[in-house]
Amino acid sequence: MSAGDPLVRCLGAGRTYGAGPTATVALQPTDCEVHDCARIAVVGPSGSGKSTLLHLLGGLDDPSVGTVQWPAIGPRSALRPGPVGMVFQGPSLLPPLTVLENVALPAVLAGTPDREARDEARLALETLGLSELADKLPEEISGGQAQRVAVARALVGEPRLLLADEPTGQLDHASATVLIATLLATAARTGAALVVATHDPAVAGQLHERWEVHSGRLDTGATAAAEEASAWSR
Amino acid sequence: MVTLTWLRGLVAHRRARILGTALGVAVGVALLASIGSFLSATNAKMTQRAIQRVPVDWQVEGRNGVSAARLLAQVRHQPGVERALPVSFAGASGFSARTGGSTQTTGAGRILGMPRGYAKAFPGEVRTLAGRGDGVALAQQTAANLHARPGSLVTLRPAHGRPVTVRVAGVVDLPEADSLFQQVGAPPGAQPQAPPDNVVLLPQRLFDRAAKGSPVTTQVHAAVSHALPASPSGAFDAIEGRARNLETRLAGSGLVGDNLGATLDKAREDALYAQILFLFLGVPGAVLAALVTATIASAGAARRRRDAALLRTRGASTRRLVGLALGETAAAGALGVAAGLAGALAIGAAAFHEASFGASTLAAVLWATGAALAGLLIAAAAITVPAWRDARSLTVAGQRREIGRRDRAPWWARYGVDFLCLAGSGLVYWQASRNGYKLVLAPEGVPQVSVNWYALLAPVLAWIGAGLLIYRIADLVLARGRAPLTRTLRPLAGELSPTVAATMGRQRPLLARSLALVALTAAFAASTAVFNSTYQQQAAVDALLTNGADVSVLESPGAQVGPQGAARLARVPGVKSVEPLQHRFAYVGADLQDLYGVRPPSIGSAGRLQDAWFAGGTARQLMRQLATRPDSVLVSAETVHDFQLNPGDLIRLRLQDGRTKRYRTVPFHYAGVANEFPTAPTDSFLVANAAYVAKATGSDAVGTFLVQTHGASPGTVAQRVRKVVGTGAQVTDVDHQRRIVGSNLTAVELSGLTKVELAFALVLAAASAGLALALGLHERRRTFAIAGALGARTRQLGAFVWCESAFVTAGGLLLGALSAAALSEMLVKVLTGVFDPPPDSVAVPGAYLAALLALTLASVVIAGATTLRALRRPAIEELRDL
Repeated sequence: MSAGDPLVRCLGAGRTYGAGPTATVALQPTDCEVHDCARIAVVGPSGSGKSTLLHLLGGLDDPSVGTVQWPAIGPRSALRPGPVGMVFQGPSLLPPLTVLENVALPAVLAGTPDREARDEARLALETLGLSELADKLPEEISGGQAQRVAVARALVGEPRLLLADEPTGQLDHASATVLIATLLATAARTGAALVVATHDPAVAGQLHERWEVHSGRLDTGATAAAEEASAWSR
Repeated sequence: MVTLTWLRGLVAHRRARILGTALGVAVGVALLASIGSFLSATNAKMTQRAIQRVPVDWQVEGRNGVSAARLLAQVRHQPGVERALPVSFAGASGFSARTGGSTQTTGAGRILGMPRGYAKAFPGEVRTLAGRGDGVALAQQTAANLHARPGSLVTLRPAHGRPVTVRVAGVVDLPEADSLFQQVGAPPGAQPQAPPDNVVLLPQRLFDRAAKGSPVTTQVHAAVSHALPASPSGAFDAIEGRARNLETRLAGSGLVGDNLGATLDKAREDALYAQILFLFLGVPGAVLAALVTATIASAGAARRRRDAALLRTRGASTRRLVGLALGETAAAGALGVAAGLAGALAIGAAAFHEASFGASTLAAVLWATGAALAGLLIAAAAITVPAWRDARSLTVAGQRREIGRRDRAPWWARYGVDFLCLAGSGLVYWQASRNGYKLVLAPEGVPQVSVNWYALLAPVLAWIGAGLLIYRIADLVLARGRAPLTRTLRPLAGELSPTVAATMGRQRPLLARSLALVALTAAFAASTAVFNSTYQQQAAVDALLTNGADVSVLESPGAQVGPQGAARLARVPGVKSVEPLQHRFAYVGADLQDLYGVRPPSIGSAGRLQDAWFAGGTARQLMRQLATRPDSVLVSAETVHDFQLNPGDLIRLRLQDGRTKRYRTVPFHYAGVANEFPTAPTDSFLVANAAYVAKATGSDAVGTFLVQTHGASPGTVAQRVRKVVGTGAQVTDVDHQRRIVGSNLTAVELSGLTKVELAFALVLAAASAGLALALGLHERRRTFAIAGALGARTRQLGAFVWCESAFVTAGGLLLGALSAAALSEMLVKVLTGVFDPPPDSVAVPGAYLAALLALTLASVVIAGATTLRALRRPAIEELRDL
């Protein structure tokens, strides 16, 4: 592990679901890297493999072929909770926990004492303007609020790699703008890399690098994009 | 069509839910079918056994000078009578025999004139012990008194007429002497007449010569058709009706001694007890099976509601939703019913060697049909009813909720139904057990048997109250006890304990329900086991009471063996102690009662006296009183009631003087109540100080020697003692007695019933703890998968799983044990009529309870481990599948 090592590196990593004639190739073998301070928009139509790519980058899934490494972070067991923050596409809050407890959960799982974890969670909620939801249960808030809470949860612990799968999918334009601004600001403050899978050109437009996925094939564009992004963040 | 598509989807994707519900239904169906068929078989068996025990069904006694021939003809013409023979009875002032150079003489006795072919027609009435039974035969005791054997000459002294000397052809036993010498036509409840000590059986021709000039009573002994209804009650009604019909036809020329009716009368009480046991032990089991099924089904309730909400947003009507739920009910119900009936067949074949449990095909089919219907109802109650209720009362948004805050307690908790039930149960229990309580009342000779149904309310209310109170306690702990719960969970959950406690608090309806169910199933299993174990314990005590000791040596009535006779018995190898026990008869007013003279310092341990046998003091206290005040006497509760006695009251008893053989009045003072005593009969008797009785009557003759053994089995010691005492005394051992007690009607049926019950109780306990928990966890695997995706380690996921499991299991077992303790006491008290004698304390079956605990814990561990194993897959894979 040395300075300049990428946070995550895919070497011919691909993912196929099932086997035999019914096998579905979700992601073709791909090479890519994500560095500190990267701002990447992963775009592409539904079912193109964006979520699969994010799951591989976050170590949530195993590649069928190739490998995924996290040179600047360590082994996969060290990714979560801590260095990698994840915003899932669907509902991902734990139903029996309040919003505050949901947001504090990654910190609690990382071993942070309960009181400190709650303080961190309150701060994250405050950042996203969600303080008034702290004591609500997930089923008592709207889908958009739940998505923003999920983002707040991903920010707790100041991860080095933030992976967000359609974080604005259920939000109106204004809320989406605020959310992306918050993500960018947090990433800028902590120096984290940000990878956002999105359909929304406006969201993608706020990020410096654009990876396109079509039918499981990833096109990462020019490698200079990463350098540009790095320069922008500096 | 839609229903079929829906069902196909459920089978493909919600298999665990369907199978879990089907399993619960199967347990309920198997339990009901097994116990129901068993009960039917029991009733029929009880009737059959009762009939087989009666050697002479009717003894029709002639009255008003009717001739024997006419009486016989009338009885033989009565429809249903299959065999009938006349027997004559005459009194004798005594019998004598000269043997070994001395003349032995007996007291008063009876001479019977027996017709030819009697032994073949009624084989159980007269049993030949030596020689021939169809000639002149002496009853065993008479032979012992006269020192006579086949070939001896015996002189009969009829009450009126000349002595007759006859040659003895055989020695016989009269096993049914009580009924043979009964007072035919005695009013119901009259004191039974003791059979005569001396009996001689003569061929009819010889009897006519010997009894010439003496008053003769003629009886016609009859065997009737045994084509009777299967149940003892029905059979009793039928046979009673026939007997009354014959008496009407005889028009005063004869009275019917209905031995068969009397035996069926006792059997119908046993049958009613068996039915009540079914209610007490079987119905709670079936209700619990239904609750387990409902809990299993409710594990998927949130998902089912979400599915329904989705369908409603697509326009599904309430009718359509209920239709889909009915489809699921039919699938789970049919599967459960099929598995349950197959299970019942297998249990019947394995445990009773008959798939129908010995019931008739019709009864077995009826019970199977009833159980199947009950199974379908259970499935409907678990699936269709909640679906219908949700569709009617909840909005789509409401149906999508998984947790939901509960602002108000359930209605029953708000109105304190649990406390009301427990208070009601306590009140009924107190009232019922205060005095003179009898669950089943079957007065002799009265066709109707009555059950004190009111007393049954006590356990019913206790079950309901306990279940609801346990739910309330669990709910309270989860809702209000967050801080102590967090501290308690810390060893299992570490830093996650506040989060785990919060999760559990929000899921308290689910957890409280699971905990209550574990508690109820554990209480059911434990209380059934305690009841069964207590019954076995009392059966052993009954055997000991009947026999008096490990080995008892009953001296012949005429024998004059004093307490010093104990010395030769004490020398027999294997004998630990020998206790002499006097046996006399005493008149209390006009009642003739058994009187037992005891040595107060030693009878306590020698007779293994129990406190429950006495009232007005413990066994030790009352024996001390007999020692310090020798004229004290213990009497039966009935005597206390009849004579309005108070402690210290003077009672004048009339006892036979050993020297003059005449009855004389002896003063005693009432000291306490003896309900049971070794070798004593079940009705009234007296216990007094042996030294005082000996002094007052001039005789220290011992009736029975109570022998306790050491280092050898009672059977072996009994054999050795027999060699010492010869034929002069009757020697019995407790093992033999236990076998006799164990073959009593209620004993046999109860052991079968509890065998089935105890096995089902274990299955229910394991299902409620393991299966319900596993399905609950299975339905929440999305939650665990999200936690896993957020980085929760297996250990941390385990904290959620094991904390919930530990709370439900430990809480359930603890509260279940407390409930079981209370319910067992109540069950034993309410069903006290089943126990003979009533127990001093309940017996705790350690091995069964250990097995119950082990099985429950094992099922919980398997449920938790299975859940965690399923979560080893990559979290996102799990999430994608959900």
